[in-house]
Amino acid sequence: MDDPCPLSRGRVLLAKPGMDAHWRGLGVVARILRDAGFEVVYLGHAGADEIAGAALDEDADVVGLSTLSGNHIEATRRVLATLARLGAGDVQVVVGGAIGRADARVLTELGAHTVLGPGASSDEIVARVAAAVATRARAFLAADVATVAGSRPLPIDQGENG
Amino acid sequence: MSERRCGPLGVPVVAGPEHLAPGLGERLGRPGEPPYTRGIHETMYRARRWTIRQLAGYGTAADTNQRLRLLLDRGATGINTVFDYPSLRAFDSDDPRAEPDVGRGGVAVDVTADFEDLLRGIRIEDVSVSLVSSQPIGAVPHLAMFLTTANRRGVPWSALRGTSQNDFLMETCITIGPAALPPAAAFRLECDLALFCIEAVPHWNPVSVAAYNYREAGADIVLEVALAIAHGRAVAEALVARGIEPDRAARAITFFFSAHIDLFQEVAKFRAARRIWHDVAKRHVGCRDPRSTRLRFHAQTSGTTFTTALPLANIGRGAIEGLAAIAGGAQSLHVNGFDEAFAIPTEQAATLALETQQMLLHEAGIGDSADPFGGSYLVEHLTDQIEEQVQETLAVIDAKGGIVEAAETGWLHEELGRRAYEDHLALGRRRALAEDDHHDDRGDIEVFTLPSGTRDRQRARLEETRAARDADEVRRRLDGLVIDAAAGRAVMPTTIDAVAAGATLGEIGTALREALGTWTIPVL
Repeated sequence: MDDPCPLSRGRVLLAKPGMDAHWRGLGVVARILRDAGFEVVYLGHAGADEIAGAALDEDADVVGLSTLSGNHIEATRRVLATLARLGAGDVQVVVGGAIGRADARVLTELGAHTVLGPGASSDEIVARVAAAVATRARAFLAADVATVAGSRPLPIDQGENG
Repeated sequence: MSERRCGPLGVPVVAGPEHLAPGLGERLGRPGEPPYTRGIHETMYRARRWTIRQLAGYGTAADTNQRLRLLLDRGATGINTVFDYPSLRAFDSDDPRAEPDVGRGGVAVDVTADFEDLLRGIRIEDVSVSLVSSQPIGAVPHLAMFLTTANRRGVPWSALRGTSQNDFLMETCITIGPAALPPAAAFRLECDLALFCIEAVPHWNPVSVAAYNYREAGADIVLEVALAIAHGRAVAEALVARGIEPDRAARAITFFFSAHIDLFQEVAKFRAARRIWHDVAKRHVGCRDPRSTRLRFHAQTSGTTFTTALPLANIGRGAIEGLAAIAGGAQSLHVNGFDEAFAIPTEQAATLALETQQMLLHEAGIGDSADPFGGSYLVEHLTDQIEEQVQETLAVIDAKGGIVEAAETGWLHEELGRRAYEDHLALGRRRALAEDDHHDDRGDIEVFTLPSGTRDRQRARLEETRAARDADEVRRRLDGLVIDAAAGRAVMPTTIDAVAAGATLGEIGTALREALGTWTIPVL
């Protein structure tokens, strides 16, 4: 019998920053994560303020940004900065899209947890997002909860062994 | 006889006469004759070569103009220019939402002067111009600016040849963006543009059904064709309902298909699509002249089949897919750059793709004989299967209430998303070359980088334009556009008036969004 209330592997907010028009990849990732037991919130197109605000409202562990237009560095920088400004620097950002290796390095140096490029397998996507959930849990616990995260509940860390 | 399932189609190990249903002769006809299965011209490419129409667009209009002229100098025979993401959605480059994407994926245009720069040194009375506007909200102002450019050059609109990619599904289902119009409103704009061109720009193709993008977004081979035909039919019927004679209405519709990697299936697809469109144009649209029922199409090699691993192998994919398009009877072709999976093409990749077309045209002999695969047991069997399944899917779309309703209810988004997911799972099992462990090379090729200064240049031009125009006059004309659009009156004449007075692309977009409302796209 199915567990009527299965434990979530984490909450993931998926968004498209800027104006890139491709949604196939993000739609596939949403289904992969859902089938793997994550709670997925699909935000769609949004600016950095809306994305960071929604991450807080939805109590997301991970923000997944997808873009294929080439705007990824500027768009990711804006989202990371806004999350930090709102005191949600523990929320992990995973970026996917048409992103080459050099830019992927730039993004992780900026503070993105992971960059998933074209051809990533379902297993790789699930493993990286699970790792991001785990990183967020550690960051959350390490942080000064009172000043950083207000009254948000603790995320459940199942990422690495769940 | 054993068959392998390949997507929705059954592919026999060996095809033979047992795979052909009776009546093949009537299903085929001769090239240039109904039902046009074998092509729309009697001698196909001997009479008329396909148009070498390589897509180009990046940075500013001046940047893209250089690329367009380079392609023409090297042997391209048509213009195919794509607009950046904000321009497709009719946002100005200095809109805060637009800024990170200015000049990306296409050329930034904000005002008519950008179109003048884009087409500088190109004789628009001699070369056909395809405007890849995609979405009606972009197509309407882009065409208005193009026509205003023709006016300023003294070129009569009757001398203009070309195409607007003008497709409400692009705005509401296939590609997405902030503040999309509701499907019925986007569909109405699409038809408005077509009605205007039928009257005023007679040699312009006002609707190009972007089936290529349907496929890229997740449709399989059957759904690609079914959506295209259902959409083409809906537009033609809407034009007839607004007083256009059926033969003229059907001739306003052209198609833009994907040339995917499975050679024989793709050839069969183009043949089946022609046969179905002939039938639909005759039975549903009411065409009397068989020539009005000919399906004309542009094809593009499939971006989703190109990989970042082993990127040079994409050159081979482009050649196979281009071969499929030409053996399938395309009127016009774009071959992707081998770097398609990374970014828009570098100059090297773009010229190599052009040379691939020239190889197909001059060396490979594909165009010497019309419908070269006609009569092949396999290709005829695939053609019949695709036709049958497309007809079934058309019946499903009819049962939903038609293509506009299929978009409104989110049915289409669900179909595309589900198939894209299934395709992703199947790809994992299929192990494409690029994902083989022995070829774990992500490829170190030179990738296109956007020229710096695009945003500054666009901002400066917008400021110049706003300073030089009569602001009250622009406001009055934009108000007129809002009133006309909200009342369901024709929007093209008012848009041209506003643009001629100096209205920007973003102002036209804002006016249309204000009049027609916006819609949350039900992606998931």
